[in-house]
Amino acid sequence: MAQKGTATKGVILGILIIAGIAIPFFSGNFIIRFLTNTLMFAVLASAWNIIGGYTGYASFGNVVFLGIGAYVSAVLMEKEGVSLWLALPASGIGASLFAVLIGMPVLRLKGHYFAIATLGVAEAMKALVNNLDITEGNSGIYLPVMNLPVKEQYIFFYFMMMGVLAMTLVVTYIMLKKKLGYGLIAIREDEEAAGSLGVNTTLFKITSFALSGFFSGLAGSLYAFQQGFIKPESVFDVGITVKMIVMAVLGGIGSVMGPLLGAMSIEVISEILTNYFLVAHTLFFGAIVILAIVFTPKGIMDIISGRKKFGLNYLLQNIRDHRI
Amino acid sequence: MVILEGKNITKTFGGLTAVSKVNFALNKGEILGLIGPNGAGKTTIVNMISGTYHPTTGQVIFKGINITNYKPYKIGRIGISRTYQIVKPFPGMTVRENVSVGAMFGAQGKNLNSKQSIEKAEEILEFTGLQDMADKRADDLNVASRKRLEIAKALAMGPEVILFDEVMAGLNFVEIDNAVELIQKIRDSGVSILVIEHVMRAIKGVSDRIFVLHHGAKIADGTPDEVLNDDKVIKAYLGRRYKELVQ
Amino acid sequence: MLLQIIINGILKGGLYALMALGMSLIWGVMNIINIAHGAFIMLGAYCTYWFFSLVGLDPFVSLFISIIFMFIIGYGIQRYLINFVIRATIFITLILAFGIEIFINNLALVMWTADVRKVQVPYGASNFSIGSLVTIPYVRLSAFLIALIIAGIFYFILNKTRLGRSIRATSQDLDAARLVGVDVAKTYAVTFGLGVGAAGAAGTLWAILFPINPMMGGILTLKSFVVVIIGGLGSMFGPIIGGLTLGVVEALGSNWFGTTYENFIGFTILVLVLIFLPKGILGKSE
Repeated sequence: MAQKGTATKGVILGILIIAGIAIPFFSGNFIIRFLTNTLMFAVLASAWNIIGGYTGYASFGNVVFLGIGAYVSAVLMEKEGVSLWLALPASGIGASLFAVLIGMPVLRLKGHYFAIATLGVAEAMKALVNNLDITEGNSGIYLPVMNLPVKEQYIFFYFMMMGVLAMTLVVTYIMLKKKLGYGLIAIREDEEAAGSLGVNTTLFKITSFALSGFFSGLAGSLYAFQQGFIKPESVFDVGITVKMIVMAVLGGIGSVMGPLLGAMSIEVISEILTNYFLVAHTLFFGAIVILAIVFTPKGIMDIISGRKKFGLNYLLQNIRDHRI
Repeated sequence: MVILEGKNITKTFGGLTAVSKVNFALNKGEILGLIGPNGAGKTTIVNMISGTYHPTTGQVIFKGINITNYKPYKIGRIGISRTYQIVKPFPGMTVRENVSVGAMFGAQGKNLNSKQSIEKAEEILEFTGLQDMADKRADDLNVASRKRLEIAKALAMGPEVILFDEVMAGLNFVEIDNAVELIQKIRDSGVSILVIEHVMRAIKGVSDRIFVLHHGAKIADGTPDEVLNDDKVIKAYLGRRYKELVQ
Repeated sequence: MLLQIIINGILKGGLYALMALGMSLIWGVMNIINIAHGAFIMLGAYCTYWFFSLVGLDPFVSLFISIIFMFIIGYGIQRYLINFVIRATIFITLILAFGIEIFINNLALVMWTADVRKVQVPYGASNFSIGSLVTIPYVRLSAFLIALIIAGIFYFILNKTRLGRSIRATSQDLDAARLVGVDVAKTYAVTFGLGVGAAGAAGTLWAILFPINPMMGGILTLKSFVVVIIGGLGSMFGPIIGGLTLGVVEALGSNWFGTTYENFIGFTILVLVLIFLPKGILGKSE
């Protein structure tokens, strides 16, 4: 039985990968752009999953890593003429250094307080970047243009983002099999017990946060370069944090593929709604988020994994479990 | 040979003195019992050994090293494990995964990579009789199995000293006998043990020596027969009827 | 000059305090961080705007209507929506609140368009002066006083009424409260209603002082967080202290570093308070 399950999962994964690689060569620019955007959110949601899902520290400020990654690349590429191949890792490292720095005080907080602190950090950084000269403050910063035809550019960013996502997922998958993964989940389940079992909780939490920051920073770098122009409001937008959390939760936190599924679902639903209800699509989006979270709080992965049979009873049971 | 000792340990919380100038010594290879009424300070002592609290004054010495102000994870790593009175399993993990955490991060953890740690966990599951439940989620277990899991996690760390905080609470007679057997098996494998208990039948059967706390101070110390017949202990804790019942 | 700045800060702080009062009540009692808080402030503001434009009703009168209307909305949302997820993890309630926020903001956008509106009361600019030192606009002073009054009313409700006892019991131990016969579903709903009602009042006052638009809620929610954290949970006067602190610090900071640094100062204080003084100034242990 277990063999069959793994084989099916392997086949599905294989199909996804092949489709993922082939699609850009058969699609128009709009679709490629849409998919790249979805991949970016998948990276953000998966990165959030490391600190929020596996470690149990729900960060409400992860967009700060996107923003730092974006601005590190923007400043390096535009002002110092650095190439993407240096700016990209610099963004990742810069964001994770920030995570370590801010993580040391902030990871001592628990639950809601940690969440609010990270939110505060993100908003403070947005305000700071808005005022600094080196980041051009409120006016926004331009990045150098790529020397490639449009279609090739789109395809380039698509595969780059896919590469970052693949890296994030592979690292997460491997981490789960190693001591780091076990340690983080132990921290999530019972931090005090984890400590007395020998887990250096401070070190592990900071590592988790740094990883989360690293991948988000990479995404930020690519995003900035693709957009060609960034402003503080767009790359430090709290709405992005909420979106990545919604995607991770609705996809299924604590699973490797969950956030990706969540990102795909949310982006597709969003796109469909925009097409049908130009004016009120966000309204319906809000309604869908509400219904989804009330009826399927454990996310898509819980439904797919088949632990419990899906049906009306499943939906109602979720309410019965969580209602007052 | 003394492996773990507390020297003049005092713990105050604000105006309340929980533990007052307590001295104790655990010898290598022995089982030392710790008894006393509720609120006597027993768990506080365990918390001070394991690093959850630090003594206000006094020292905790392990194998000659002063570990008084070590952080909990460090104490786990140098070879002292503990269980919790209200058990703390990792609910979302399986039994095997729970025990693996102990194997990975305990005193012996540095010698094992993740794969080897999981194998070690399998051995511990066999040793403690949990192998049939290895893939069950920890929160699906009943009370007795959870206590067993708690012991297995501590054991997987490869400790030289284990602190058991009321592992028998809530068990029926058969389960208590099984637990006593397990504790003796653990001692026979070379681990020194400090046992806190209220269940007299268990503590009497398992301890080499016992010391007694009352209102934060030590009131007796010696072999089970000496201690359980001591007038101070009877007055404070056992009650006169105990002597009559046991006669 | 400095005195005027500080007075301005205090008065604005009063408005901040009123905004945060509702959030503090909901957070302290139900452990819910209401991300949609700003959206309710916005609704209160629009309520006042429409009563003013369509019927010419003075905002200080429609204040009461705002409060009652928002109480009903809050009660309904808690009773028939949030109560269904309240025992789940914090992400779930957060996401639900976010969904509600999106829904309300966009409903407003669809119904009332993105145009910025203003409630132009004839006495909006009038003020009185204390010597030649300070000028105090009446409206701002009223906002400040109303904030204190509502905080006082909340204090009274929580500590001197039967309802208040139910609320406090429920916040301390849900199951124990249930066992002694408290209707917890209703109690939560009333608490949420009160919190949202306070938000509505804040919205009314905001509308008198500043222009309004459907998206105004976001930054107000964030500022309310800062106020609640600084002041501390557990006391109805926490938001007052927190609001005053934020107001004064923002006023001074804007004066010294420039107005664009206003948000940076506020959020930095938030983070510093959380790190060094997590219970806030008046906070009690949970």
